[in-house]
Amino acid sequence: MGGDVTARLEAYDLAARLKAYEGRPAATARAGKDPVNAPMIRHWCEAMGDTHPAYTGPDAIAPPTMLQVWTMGGLSGHGGRAHAYDELLALLDESGCTSVVATDCEQEYLRPLRPGDEITYDSVVESVSERKTTRLGTGYFVTTRTDVRAGGALAGTHRFRILKYAPARPGGGTGRGTRPRPVVNRDNAGFWEGVRRHTLLVQRCTGCGTLRHPWLPGCTACGCPDWDTVEASGEGRVHSYVVVHHPPFPVFDPPYAVGLVELAEGVRMIGNVVGVPYDKVRIGLPVRLEFRTYDEELTLPVWRARESVPGPAEPGEPGGPAEPADRAEPPDVPVHALPPLEIPVTRTLIVAGALASRDYQDVHHDPELARRRGSPDIFMNILTTNGLVGRYVTDQFGPASVLRKVAIRLGAPCHPGDTLVLTGTVESVAGDTATVRVTGTNRAGRHVTGTVTVTVPGEDPSEALSDDPREDPSEDPS
Amino acid sequence: MSAKGRGLLSGRAAVAGIGATEFSKDSGRSELRLAVEAVRAALDDAGLMPGDVDGLVTFTMDTSPEITVAQACGMGELSFFSRVHYGGGAACATVLQAALAVAAGVAEVVVCYRAFNERSGRRFGAGVQHREPSAEGVALGWALPFGLLTPASWVAMAAQRYLHRYGLAPEAFGHVAVAGRRYAATNPAAYFRGRPITLADHAASRWIVEPLRLLDCCQETDGGQALVVTSVERARDLPHPPAVIAAAAQGAGRGQEQMTGFYRDDLGGLPEAGVVARRLWRTSGLGPGDVDVGILYDHFTPFVLMQLEEFGFCGRGEAPDFVAEGHLPLNTHGGQLGEAYLHGMNGIAEGVRQVRGTSVNQVPGASRVLVTAGTGVPTSGLVLTADG
Repeated sequence: MGGDVTARLEAYDLAARLKAYEGRPAATARAGKDPVNAPMIRHWCEAMGDTHPAYTGPDAIAPPTMLQVWTMGGLSGHGGRAHAYDELLALLDESGCTSVVATDCEQEYLRPLRPGDEITYDSVVESVSERKTTRLGTGYFVTTRTDVRAGGALAGTHRFRILKYAPARPGGGTGRGTRPRPVVNRDNAGFWEGVRRHTLLVQRCTGCGTLRHPWLPGCTACGCPDWDTVEASGEGRVHSYVVVHHPPFPVFDPPYAVGLVELAEGVRMIGNVVGVPYDKVRIGLPVRLEFRTYDEELTLPVWRARESVPGPAEPGEPGGPAEPADRAEPPDVPVHALPPLEIPVTRTLIVAGALASRDYQDVHHDPELARRRGSPDIFMNILTTNGLVGRYVTDQFGPASVLRKVAIRLGAPCHPGDTLVLTGTVESVAGDTATVRVTGTNRAGRHVTGTVTVTVPGEDPSEALSDDPREDPSEDPS
Repeated sequence: MSAKGRGLLSGRAAVAGIGATEFSKDSGRSELRLAVEAVRAALDDAGLMPGDVDGLVTFTMDTSPEITVAQACGMGELSFFSRVHYGGGAACATVLQAALAVAAGVAEVVVCYRAFNERSGRRFGAGVQHREPSAEGVALGWALPFGLLTPASWVAMAAQRYLHRYGLAPEAFGHVAVAGRRYAATNPAAYFRGRPITLADHAASRWIVEPLRLLDCCQETDGGQALVVTSVERARDLPHPPAVIAAAAQGAGRGQEQMTGFYRDDLGGLPEAGVVARRLWRTSGLGPGDVDVGILYDHFTPFVLMQLEEFGFCGRGEAPDFVAEGHLPLNTHGGQLGEAYLHGMNGIAEGVRQVRGTSVNQVPGASRVLVTAGTGVPTSGLVLTADG
């Protein structure tokens, strides 16, 4: 009991000491290590796959999402003076919060940066949270705000939040567990063997020809025990769906959508709908079969949204006119949805993104050290995610588009072998400026959610959107 | 009353005693002890002794075996013991089993019971992540790897389809929740006594599994409930007026599943409840217009709406308005949303109290009560009537 009281007093003392850092400067009039320069811009664009024409050529500007890069210390660090921020991090290290992960990045770009611009910046510790228990472990969120200047003039602001935490299971896995396994016995083993071979098999009664799912050792229509299988075409529609919020099963990263898919063949099965945010799944959504491998033992069929997602129109708003019963499935009108972008998250992308952003944290390039810190492998840094989100939006809005603000929050980490699927929805358009909601998902759930403000000077930005950029010959390199 | 078409069961047996423990979130005692306390209370209510009991019925899900309950209650020999499967779908079927045994002369006094620490012990709402590869495990296993792990998630799939089919919003479920909590507010035995809610509270409650909100889901409860069934003749000599079992029925539909009935044609209805409805109306000679009080199983609000439609109280898609307009006194104990989640057994007790005229929310002159059991699973139902 005495130890308990001591521990509580220590925790109280720590909280007070941490709070004292709020408002203290983390950096004052510090200079960037290098001026804005073309080689770093090129490395960044190569890593991000960003081909925006404004970032090359004699009048090139730096990609706005590089804002933080110009302030990074690189391999040698900033060195020298100890600042309040370093003291704060050291204090957290001493209290056992030795791991760090960036969670939020909010940037506003006031004027473009160009090669040759000399960077200075001021940074302040904006807030230190109460002690929080997260999926990763227990720790504290630390938020800093940085003003970045070029030649003395304010070029952008940057709010950055990290979680300094004691890992929930030091050296272990992510603590998220694995998906529940399929329940397999002699009656349905054929289905799951098919899934392993990436074929979706539907049972067919050889007596009356009726197709059936779930698998059973006899026909639900005629009782005949004999059957064979047909391979599903892979086309289907969402017949019903739910969005699971609670209880929070970590491996699924709620909220998440689960669909009941009606196959073109007429049978239904449960499955996850991918390529569309959880809150955009709708009854009637056309989907196509894919297979996804979650771990060494688990492959599952998943259903990819086949078109842009339907608009927000919900049947029967409260108090509004009810729709007629048994109406046809709603048309799938692409109202504000942007086409998805799939980015294979390779080890190379993670390391290239870390180096292009001058981020030498070991968890972004050294698998062994990453594992020791409680991660299953290296993971992508927040600056890369920020760059990819910026690229996704400017890809959609075309060569004249300019990023004004990017605010992102990270969720599930991106590890090598993941596929990051970015989707976006235009939330509003005012004059030549659009606000876009972006979500990036990977196999573990939501990697990133964010809001991007983009301008297409002198134009209605919706005019700059093409339904499918791949059909635009001007963007076809062949 | 003509017995034609009504079989050999109608009017032969009655519920003569009801008894329960307190309904709590942490009973502090074993499930067996809760079962024993509830059985003793029901026998006291019936004016019978443990030695009078020769039959016991419970759920396959119950952890207290009939023989152990018999020992701990000081009962002697048993000539009838039976268990009913499919979760809450068993509730009214325990009374069906007891009535069959009494009508057939297999037993004279049968006690039905259900007791659990469903809140402080194994919580159903916590979800399922693993099942053995039995036929039942395989049936549920089609949903588990995709994250459909909880009762709320299984019900939500049908609820979404119901909303879609009838062009409704999730607020349509709110009337059921408000009605249940209104009755619970005046029921001293209810966990939510004194705590009514509004439609706005419902609409503001957090999502559990869309389209279900927190206030669409019943509570979780520790407790026990027991019912004493005997012949109508013997019941007439006991302290309380008999609640006559005018009809009792079980039902499973074509393509029936346990909670995962996603593969059959009608996802916006409850065909198994329709089977029960047809049998109850035929056996009792009554119809929806004759019912004074409805005790409809309410683990999740949407299935109350679908039951009203399956039992013919209103047309398809009309149940939200039917409930809002208050045409039928519904779950006058507060239901499982408001009183307690006792797998439907506490609802049967409320049906008995209404027929006796002793409910805290008594419907004046109530003499015909419909009681139903777990939904989304093979289910059961009762029509209880006043004697004579």
